[in-house]
Amino acid sequence: MKNLYLPELVTIEDITNEAPDVVTFRLVFKDEALKESFEFKTGQFGLYSALGLGESTFCIASPDTRKGYIECTFRKSGRVTGALAAMSVGDTMGFRGPYGNAFPIEDWKGKNLVFIAGGIGLPPVRSVIWSCLDKREDFGDITIVYGSRAVADLVYKEELAHWEERDDINLVQTVDPGGETPEWKGKVGFVPTIVKETAPKADNTIAVICGPPIMIKFTLSALEELGFSDEAVYTTLENKMKCGVGKCGRCNVGDIYVCKEGPVYTAAEVKLMYNDF
Amino acid sequence: MAKKILKRSDLTKLVASVGKAGGAFVAPKAVANGLVEYVFIKKADEIEFDYIVPGKSFKEANFPQTEVVARFKNDPEGVTVEGVELNPPRVVIFGARPCDAKSSESLNSVFTWDFIDEFYTKREDAMVTITVACTTGDNACFCTSVGIKPDDTDGSDLLLRETEGGDFTVEAVTDKGKAFIKEEKAVFTEGKATPKERTIFEPRKLDVDLEKIGEYLKDTDHYEGDLWADMARKCIGCGSCTYACPTCHCFDITDEGGFSETERRKNWDSCQFDFFTLHASGHNPRDRQYKRWRNRFMCKFNIYPGKFKTKGCVGCGRCVRVCPVRLDITEVMEEISGA
Repeated sequence: MKNLYLPELVTIEDITNEAPDVVTFRLVFKDEALKESFEFKTGQFGLYSALGLGESTFCIASPDTRKGYIECTFRKSGRVTGALAAMSVGDTMGFRGPYGNAFPIEDWKGKNLVFIAGGIGLPPVRSVIWSCLDKREDFGDITIVYGSRAVADLVYKEELAHWEERDDINLVQTVDPGGETPEWKGKVGFVPTIVKETAPKADNTIAVICGPPIMIKFTLSALEELGFSDEAVYTTLENKMKCGVGKCGRCNVGDIYVCKEGPVYTAAEVKLMYNDF
Repeated sequence: MAKKILKRSDLTKLVASVGKAGGAFVAPKAVANGLVEYVFIKKADEIEFDYIVPGKSFKEANFPQTEVVARFKNDPEGVTVEGVELNPPRVVIFGARPCDAKSSESLNSVFTWDFIDEFYTKREDAMVTITVACTTGDNACFCTSVGIKPDDTDGSDLLLRETEGGDFTVEAVTDKGKAFIKEEKAVFTEGKATPKERTIFEPRKLDVDLEKIGEYLKDTDHYEGDLWADMARKCIGCGSCTYACPTCHCFDITDEGGFSETERRKNWDSCQFDFFTLHASGHNPRDRQYKRWRNRFMCKFNIYPGKFKTKGCVGCGRCVRVCPVRLDITEVMEEISGA
C-alpha cells in the first residue's frame, strides 16, 4: 500500500548553530537507493519528523544543484523543533517530501537577480542563491539584501562572509535600528528602506524575497517604486501544514492550497489572493 | 417489471450473511435517548428505522475519527518505521441518506486530488452504500436547496424506498450494487407487482442561489466585508459543525505514545479552532473566530465546487441542528443570495 504519511529515515550528518535557537541540519537518507535517486527542485519543502513527537514543515534550504543530501534550517520554537534541536550528529529523524512547486530558475537565464531576505526568511532564499551561484555564468548581476533584528540573529554567518568576499555578488547586510553592535560594519535600517537605498535596477531583473509578512509587504512597495513588475518578483509563502499533500485543510489562503499550488508565487499572484494571510 | 424487494424481516438474514462473509454492517441505531448514530451492528434488531439523519454522517467508515498510519520504535539498536498496511473488510452501510451518500463524492475528491490517500480510498472501495430515501425530515433539512433530492441515487450503490408495509423496494445504482444483489440474492426477492411506496419527504426550500453565492465568494473584496464579522459574531468556535459535517475533511497528524513506541495518527481536526492555522512565529492568518467561520463557508461554497467540482454542502442540516448558539448556515446563504 502506498502510504502518503510514511516518513523516510534520515541521518543527521552535520549540525551548524546559526544564531540563538537557530540550527541547520545536513540530512542523508539511510536508504542507499533513495540517497542516490532522491531529487527535488529548489523551492520545494518537506515535513521533518522528530519520530515520536511529530512533524514540522520547513523548506529544503540546500540547492537542487547539490546532490546526496538535503539541508534544513529552523528555529527552536515548539515541541517538534525543540526535540529536533536537542538531537546530535548521527541521530535519526524522519523526512517526507519533496512537496510543492519550485522557483523557475531555468527561465531566469541571462537576467540580473536580487535576493531580499529578513531573519529566518533567508533559508528558502539561500537555496535559490546557491542554485544560481552554482551556475553563476547563466546570470547577470547578483545582489543580496539581508537583514535581521540584531547582529546575533543573522543566519548563515559563514556563507555571508563568503558572499561578502566574492566580487561577483553585491551583498548588503543590515540590522534593525538598535540591533547593531560596536563591531557591526553593515547597514542599520529596515530591509525595505535598505532595498530602496541599494536601488537595484529593475530592468531585466528578477527579485526573490522572503521574510516576515510585514517585511514582505513594505519590500513589495519598495520594489514597485524601483520599477519592478509584479511578475518579476517571487516569494515563497509559509503556512501551517500537516499533510503537505492538499488533504488536511489548513494551509489554504482563500481557495489556494499553498502546499500544492505553492509555496512559490509571483507578487502578481499574491496580489490576487484572498486576504487570508 | 416489478422492482426487487428487500423485506424488513429479511434484514436479519442480510446482516448475518454479510457478517458470515467477513464483512461489517453499519446501520443507524438508537444509541441514547433521542440520539441515533451510524454504528457497527451485529443483529438486525439493533437497526433504528425512525430517524431523520443520524447524529454524525457515516464518513467515519472511510475517514475514521482517529487512525494509525505508521508506527515507530526507538531502541538502542536504532529507529524503525513501519507503515500501516490496510486491508479493510467489506463494510455495508445500511440506511444511509441521499445527502450523506452524495458526500462520499466530495470526500473522495479531496483525498484523491493528485496525491491519493489510500487510507481513504481502500476503505471506500470496500464499502457498499445502501441508502434509504427520506420519508421523514425536519426544519433543518435543506437538501433540495443545494441540488440534491431526498430520493437521489448519487453516491449510493443501492437506493431503497420504504413501502407502505414497511419493506423496501430496491434500485441498483452502481455495478457494485448490482453485484451485491447477486451475492445476496436470497434477500433481494422479486414479486409480481411493486408494492406502494411511501411518500418522499419534501424539505423546506430556502431562498438561496448557489451560483450567486459562488460568484460572491469569487470576489476577493467580499472577504473583507462586514458581513462575516456581523453574521459569525456569535460563533464560539466549538467545532461541532465540522465534526457533524459529512464533507468536512480536515485532519491533524500527531504522534501518540511514548518515545520508545509511538503511533502516528491521522485525527479529525477542525478549521474552527484557533490553533489550527497558528504559525510557529505566533502569527495566525485566521486570528478571529469570524475568519475561521468564513473559511468554513468558503470551503463549502467556493473551494469544493470550484476546485474539486463536488458539493461542499449536501443540505443534511447537521450543522444547523448541533450549533449551540444557533448560527445557521442557511441564514448566511440566504443573506448572500439576497446581497
